[in-house]
Amino acid sequence: MFTKILIANRGEIACRVIKTARKMGIATVAVYSEADKDAMHVAMADESVCIGPPPSKESYLVMDKIIAACKQTGAQAVHPGYGFLSENAEFSRRLEEEGIVFIGPKHYSVAKMGDKIESKKLAIAAQVNTIPGYNDAIDTPEQAVEIAKGIGYPVMIKASAGGGGKGLRVAFNDQEAHEGFASCKTEAKNAFGDDRVFIEKFVEEPRHIEIQLLGDAHGNCVYLHERECSIQRRHQKVIEEAPSPFLDAATRKAMGEQAVALAKAVNYQSAGTVEFVVGGKDKSFYFLEMNTRLQVEHPVTELITGLDLVEQMIRVAAGEKLAFTQADLKINGWAMECRINAEDPFRGFLPSTGRLVKYIPPPEINGVRVDTGVYEGGEISMFYDSMIAKLIVHGTSRDQAIARMRDALNEFVIRGVASNISFQAALMQHPRFVSGDFNTGLIAEQYPKGFNAADVPHDEPAMLVAVGAAIHRQYLARNATITGQMPGHEFKPGSEFDVLMGNERHPVIVEQADGGWDVRFGNTQYALRSNWQFGQNLYQGTLNGQPICMQVERRGSAYRLFHWGMQADVQVMSERAAQLLALMPIKAAPDMSKFLLSPMPGLLTQIAVTVGQEVKAGEILAKIEAMKMENVLKAERDCVVESLLAKPGESLAVDQAIIAFK
Amino acid sequence: MHEIIDQLDEKRRRAALGGGQKRIDNQHAKGKLTARERIELLLDDGTFEEWDMFKEHRCVDFGMGESHIPGDGVVTGYGTINGRMVFVFSQDFTVFGGALSEAHAEKICKIMDKAIQVGCPVIGLNDSGGARIQEGVAALGGYADVFQRNVMASGVVPQISMIMGPCAGGAVYSPAMTDFIFMVKDSSYMFVTGPEVVKTVTHEEVTAEELGGAVTHTSKSGVADLAFENDVEALVMLRRFFNYLPLNNKEKPPVRMTDDPADRLDHSLDTLVPDNANKPYDIKELILKVVDDTDFFEIQPDHAKNIVVGFARMEGQTVGIVANQPMVLAGCLDIKSSIKAGRFVRFCDAFNIPIVTFVDVPGFMPGTAQEYGGIIKHGAKLLYAYAECTVPKITVITRKAYGGAYDVMASKHLRGDVNFAWPSAEIAVMGPKGAVEIIFREEKNDPVKVKEREAEYKAKFANPFVAGARGFIDDVIMPHETRKRICRSLAMLRGKKIENPWRKHGNIPL
Repeated sequence: MFTKILIANRGEIACRVIKTARKMGIATVAVYSEADKDAMHVAMADESVCIGPPPSKESYLVMDKIIAACKQTGAQAVHPGYGFLSENAEFSRRLEEEGIVFIGPKHYSVAKMGDKIESKKLAIAAQVNTIPGYNDAIDTPEQAVEIAKGIGYPVMIKASAGGGGKGLRVAFNDQEAHEGFASCKTEAKNAFGDDRVFIEKFVEEPRHIEIQLLGDAHGNCVYLHERECSIQRRHQKVIEEAPSPFLDAATRKAMGEQAVALAKAVNYQSAGTVEFVVGGKDKSFYFLEMNTRLQVEHPVTELITGLDLVEQMIRVAAGEKLAFTQADLKINGWAMECRINAEDPFRGFLPSTGRLVKYIPPPEINGVRVDTGVYEGGEISMFYDSMIAKLIVHGTSRDQAIARMRDALNEFVIRGVASNISFQAALMQHPRFVSGDFNTGLIAEQYPKGFNAADVPHDEPAMLVAVGAAIHRQYLARNATITGQMPGHEFKPGSEFDVLMGNERHPVIVEQADGGWDVRFGNTQYALRSNWQFGQNLYQGTLNGQPICMQVERRGSAYRLFHWGMQADVQVMSERAAQLLALMPIKAAPDMSKFLLSPMPGLLTQIAVTVGQEVKAGEILAKIEAMKMENVLKAERDCVVESLLAKPGESLAVDQAIIAFK
Repeated sequence: MHEIIDQLDEKRRRAALGGGQKRIDNQHAKGKLTARERIELLLDDGTFEEWDMFKEHRCVDFGMGESHIPGDGVVTGYGTINGRMVFVFSQDFTVFGGALSEAHAEKICKIMDKAIQVGCPVIGLNDSGGARIQEGVAALGGYADVFQRNVMASGVVPQISMIMGPCAGGAVYSPAMTDFIFMVKDSSYMFVTGPEVVKTVTHEEVTAEELGGAVTHTSKSGVADLAFENDVEALVMLRRFFNYLPLNNKEKPPVRMTDDPADRLDHSLDTLVPDNANKPYDIKELILKVVDDTDFFEIQPDHAKNIVVGFARMEGQTVGIVANQPMVLAGCLDIKSSIKAGRFVRFCDAFNIPIVTFVDVPGFMPGTAQEYGGIIKHGAKLLYAYAECTVPKITVITRKAYGGAYDVMASKHLRGDVNFAWPSAEIAVMGPKGAVEIIFREEKNDPVKVKEREAEYKAKFANPFVAGARGFIDDVIMPHETRKRICRSLAMLRGKKIENPWRKHGNIPL
């Protein structure tokens, strides 16, 4: 076994690998860019080496620097994590040449599977089901349109070297095929340095289900069952679970065996994943691609199999034999993962960067696991991806897993950068998700106009009313402790209030009880018991004996409550004050329709219009780069440009005006 | 006897109706509450003791002899906010447009006189069309009587003005002399001359809202301290604000129970200051993480944002916070921020509120606009305020403390009681780049040498040790222990007593 390994990655995955290595008694070396010098993975590792400036092209992607770091520290092996150099055959080959072990598959396996066209050919040869399509590189948009027509719409246009949703387009007609091909090619070139693009049939009602594999250097290969990853937004996975609520034992076995056959065809020796698209109607499944690395969502497999995949990868890389056979691999309970991303679901999921002013993950008890690489006071950098953490739960059943996830999402406090927690919570209670009846189109279908506050119904709004009332009463109780009161005429907080939430007014009676408050309204009594203290983000305790956890923030005269994804501003006041408030005018928000506002903080890379230009709806106005992603801002309607308020190259704040229209 | 009681009831009923139901409905239609409704919301339930409900004007000219409404357009008296006494006057726009008559002014003066005698704050809820023109100079005299009392009360009891309707002409000078001015958005305005006069004299076309609305005064002019969405929010927040203030200049600031531990550490503060000295960070995060319960009541949040001022509590007791804001203009001092902070410091000093100052200041803002605008005198206001101040003063230098601005920001030399520095503090006459250009002028064309010299200067001054060696810094503290160290210092200073030499009054550079 190795005594020291280097982790050629950052963020949560680097931390996760370090944890396992430490458990196995292996010393660890972290590498980091200048932007990451205070990152958690650096603090966790036994040693660390700075490998250059923040952009990953100049640090995490530079093989020479990583190899040099190995030599400098005497690391015997490298775990690449996911992304960066994890599926780079050359990297793996060069390590081999240097006598350093790559903790992953052999470079020839990576090379064969890394090329989507090549891998499909291999799959066909191994008698793995594949999707009809055109498997050679395509040169021109015109050619792409012809091929697309031949296969029949809808078609998918994919970058040969693509992955993780990058370099991927779906086209429903000739124009989209034409445009999709061009943009896909450009993106592929920029992102991967390889602009080969291919086209295939787009399977309808598709589910994305993948098989986790594990092979060793002794010819053994097993499948660790499937992961259901159909909950995707723009081809990015959002929620993953294992097992799939859709597969039956026979399909699982068939998929698993095909995946193993494919792996054996390339002498696969590590953890790997074979992705399938599964038809939602007939359970037909087709090979999509093989990921020759550890996947982001590997923890759900770990929770249902009880295996540590990183440990297995290290053991296999060290030449050990798998200690189990296919027959040993059972499915224990249900696991789910939510990717907690720094993005604002209420602003079209725009990426958010900056300082984590508050970061309090839920405690890792009751089947909760949090894989993270950040800490309170840390930074979500614009140089890397937007993932803050992975929230993973394990339960005996799918229902229990969902319940635990909902509780854990309630407890997850993130401030300073926006997060998608509301969105995850909304999905967790969406009837289609809860029933397991979904496909990869779920998010696009259910939230066609993006995600709005109204998309998060609350099962029992009364809970919010009760908590708001109790918190308010607690503040009043404290006000009653202020010094300097008129003796004999001290403040009495009272017990009757109106709680205003949305457009509704709820009269409540709040009375102090042992360890909390009893809130009565309507015919119901809500017994809240909590040791919440002023200023705390989490209101934790029990409501009528059931555990409750709500996030609370005092904002002006209102309390902002977060629960089950819902954000509600609650005002609590006397009945009289509520009557008077009803007399107050409702003010319309200021008219910003004549401006193009920056939807996110980022770098203005281009303004595509000039002063006086007439612009048609849908035309490109400007481009903003944030979190490595280019965001194109288009005209929402026909307009004329009056003036330009920002210059390309300028760093923009959220809602900063870029262009004024006439 | 019964007849008298009936008359009394009738008078009370009439007074309660003010200018009548129609005018009340009008007031509501404008999104405004009536004078009495406002008092109801401001004070604890049932605590209002009204005075002079039956007071009437004495004017007989221009038909006023026939027109009498008990109370004469202003409701006055006292009550409590969270059990603490306050005198209040609330102008009634439904009665003669809230216009100020001699009698109206007398009512205000009566409660102000009593407030000064008993040592209790005064809150004015302003909603008045101006002077009662029919009365002529009698009304003007009334204003002046109020002004005089504002000045007499200044620094003796806190005075707060809430502008909830028009406040124009001479009327503005009463709020102007109070300690804090709050306004309600869209329904209040303040100006010396209205849009009509402005148009006649300067040919400028401007709406009342643009000229003197809440947004104008809380962002552009700095005349007002806070703007609220509506009357209800304004009064709810005014109650909260009142909780920070002592009742008079002889009392300690109020203490309220807290369960936030004084020794709470916050390790996220250790990464607050970025490595790059030119990269901004939000000083409000520090404030929120250091004070009790993350509860900070900011004053003038939209004006001179390069300095942050407001009230918070440490171990339950009110403190005033002054902090340079690196997010805006790099946190430098300029005319507006000096005036803003100077006035706040003087309020705290007048009312025994300890001051905690967080310093990250690259210096005074350069430029002709500043010099022609009189930055010398305006900057001196903040310097004067800090130097004159005798309340406990605790200073934490988080990063830059350059030049004269270092001296100004509650430095040891201005009788700072406890001066801390974070390890990231740089206390110097200026930044390394500028310093090297001056000290090593002859080498300025040699980039290699310049770099070396900059590094040399940085090594010497870009740390808290030089200041520490002279005792200008009492200790270098870790960011995460800032709350604990401030709490302990405040506790140590609770008995602090110093006095300035006797004088009629100092001559602050106005």
